[in-house]
Amino acid sequence: MNTKSWGRNVAVGLLIAAFAYSGSMVWQHRSEEFDGSGVEVIRFAHWQLEPGMREAFDAIIADYEALHPNVRVKQVNRPGRVWRQWLRTQLVGGNPPDLVETANYLVTDEMLARYFVPLTDYLEKPNPYNSDEPDLAKGSWRESFVGELVPNEMVHYYSANLLEYYAVPNAMMTVRVFYNRDLVKSLTGDDRAPETFEEFKALCEALKNGAREQGERIQPLAGSIFNTRQMTASLARIVTQKLAIKIDYGHDLDLSMFEGNVEYLRGRWSYDTPEVRQSLELIKEVCRYMSPGWVQMKREDAMLQFLQGQAAMLATGTWDASGILQQAQFDVGIYRMPVIDLDNERYGQGALGPISESNTFGGVPFALSQTSKHPERAIDFLRYLTSRRGNAKFAQISNWLPVVKGVPIPEMVEVFRPIADGYIPGLSAQSFGQQTDKTYESHVHLLSGERASVEAYIEATRDLYPKAIRRELVRMAKTYRETIRQKDSVMTGLHGLEESADLARSKFDIVAAKQIEVEALMLQAQRTIEDYPVED
Amino acid sequence: MTDTIKIPGTSWTWRLSALVPLLVALSVSAQNGNSEDGWRLLSRYLYADAAAEFQGDDTGSKLGLAASLLNKPPVTPGKIKQAEELLREVIRQDGSADRAQYARYLLVRVAHLHLEATVSEIESGYREVLAMDEESPVAQIAASHLALVLLYQRPDLSVEARLASAADLGSMAAHPQLPEVAVSYSRTLAGAAMYYGVVDQRVLSWLEAAHEIGSADELIRIGVVLQLAEVSRLLGLNEKAVGYYQEFIAQAVPTDQRVNTAKLRMHELEVSP
Repeated sequence: MNTKSWGRNVAVGLLIAAFAYSGSMVWQHRSEEFDGSGVEVIRFAHWQLEPGMREAFDAIIADYEALHPNVRVKQVNRPGRVWRQWLRTQLVGGNPPDLVETANYLVTDEMLARYFVPLTDYLEKPNPYNSDEPDLAKGSWRESFVGELVPNEMVHYYSANLLEYYAVPNAMMTVRVFYNRDLVKSLTGDDRAPETFEEFKALCEALKNGAREQGERIQPLAGSIFNTRQMTASLARIVTQKLAIKIDYGHDLDLSMFEGNVEYLRGRWSYDTPEVRQSLELIKEVCRYMSPGWVQMKREDAMLQFLQGQAAMLATGTWDASGILQQAQFDVGIYRMPVIDLDNERYGQGALGPISESNTFGGVPFALSQTSKHPERAIDFLRYLTSRRGNAKFAQISNWLPVVKGVPIPEMVEVFRPIADGYIPGLSAQSFGQQTDKTYESHVHLLSGERASVEAYIEATRDLYPKAIRRELVRMAKTYRETIRQKDSVMTGLHGLEESADLARSKFDIVAAKQIEVEALMLQAQRTIEDYPVED
Repeated sequence: MTDTIKIPGTSWTWRLSALVPLLVALSVSAQNGNSEDGWRLLSRYLYADAAAEFQGDDTGSKLGLAASLLNKPPVTPGKIKQAEELLREVIRQDGSADRAQYARYLLVRVAHLHLEATVSEIESGYREVLAMDEESPVAQIAASHLALVLLYQRPDLSVEARLASAADLGSMAAHPQLPEVAVSYSRTLAGAAMYYGVVDQRVLSWLEAAHEIGSADELIRIGVVLQLAEVSRLLGLNEKAVGYYQEFIAQAVPTDQRVNTAKLRMHELEVSP
């Protein structure tokens, strides 16, 4: 047999094997669906492949199946990077899993309406699996969650356009700094976690000096754009808290990204504004302790750098906690982002205090697909999963923050407990929408390394930010226009359904009110663009 | 026993002719009977599915089809034109005054959001909708949108004139039949004034009106209370501001990040009244 025909035979063999594998998967799947024994099979899909997650879900599934011997719950795991395409294929093919992890940036309102079941009515009834919990038994399922699932536009479990809950969350997420205690001790002689920004800087300096003295190539901080944002976002927003109140023209102590963009074009703040310069100084101070080339690195690279002992600290979220704790070959410490003292001469003037994390909303939400063959069973499993006992087991095994009231936070991740008594976030000079993010990311190297300079950053971006912010407002106006146009059709539908009823407080009334508010934003954006022109 | 009059040769004709109205009724019902499904699909952002349901010749189906076509993907100038024609037919057929008014309102929306008509055309379009029946829910919504045009699309007017002309629409736009729309209208007036840098007694009154009606959305409700506190503070009405701060702190939802900041600002006023 010559090489050519051998290669062809291998290719054919592989094709047959792949076909056989696919066929067996389809057969296996169908046999699960059509099990003649009366067993109900619930498929439950998510992209949380972090260590501890599958184990936590498996343990809860085992408990649930013990309670309901005629039910089998199967986990379907797919990586986050292929989730969007995979989910679309499943939905369009008419065969999605019963329960599907969702997020508002992955699933549009149209997809929610077409493929998923509104869960509002279920959530307003008690969760029977909390019936032996005196404080939760009489309240609704929704009220059993920390924060009671207050609906707003940011959350993943509620559609502000469809005015319905579409998913039920399982965990909360916050960001903290992980550190290699062994390494910190060996380089500095102490492993105490810093509490203030000045202490943090002193620690970074000591780590740098210690590494140099011992001839080690170790960086104080593991870096990537993702991790640096986690670290600098909250610090930079502290020094601009008072500025945010000053330029918040809506006077509601909530400077939105939209208002920040409008106020920039109206000249009420710029990158020369002292507080904004200070926030850039602060970013520079953090970035100088990163490894060279961190701007090009990915989140996984930073994690590897930390786990291999090449960097002493890493800023990341609850989602990485279990992975780090399981894989690290050293003693891991975790601390909250250092605070900026109000009497800090350099950064304290514009600060109010640490940023409140009370708005931390529930993540890892699961939605029910419309094609589920056992919708009531799937809801029942979801109730069990998010009951106090289910969520306690989840938190205990996964080391993620629980989302149900009264569930103890595992000792190991107690430090992740959201800060409830902080203050509003200030203006973020590094993140002002899609357009400005690109400007930041392509120039942040100027704030990094030995020759880092805020002046150089400001000069290099002086002509870019006005254009980027104008483009951002144009983009926002376009998005608002699309939303408004859609609402015209939706309102006609609601009017057709409700015209003979009392319309006060009806969905028609609520959607019409929301449309007016969005239209006001669109027109404000257009007015600003017209009144404060920028050459593009 | 019932006596029946039998006319030879007519029994089948009679029976068949009796069936005709029934068949017509069934046919109309088959054509229009899907309206309920159509409205439901339309209300759930499913425009293409809704368009398939609205195939009748009645005004309801035409209105539903027009509204579906405005967003049925891909949205094309041809579909927008077809929607306009359907809406004009509804107005001509005038199925009911209410439906004709809604069709006219949608025509103005098409002109405003799809066709980029001139501001004077849009303004007169909304005023025509109002003239049909000022008391209707559609008129209330049209008045609110007209207020937005006056607030943001009339740069030829001074800021004062923009605010005054939008406020003049209050009798229609703040009607209690749609309380959420009424709240939105009052917040819109206050929001526009603050956007233009106007913070005075009028802003306080508009926010107070929104507060008095009260939104069912608790985030909007408490947001208005905090705005009242901050605006009162700016106007030097410290006692009033403290009252609103207290109300906000008592009612804020557990996920609100602003509570501590509100406390801080309230204490500043209490320390130096």
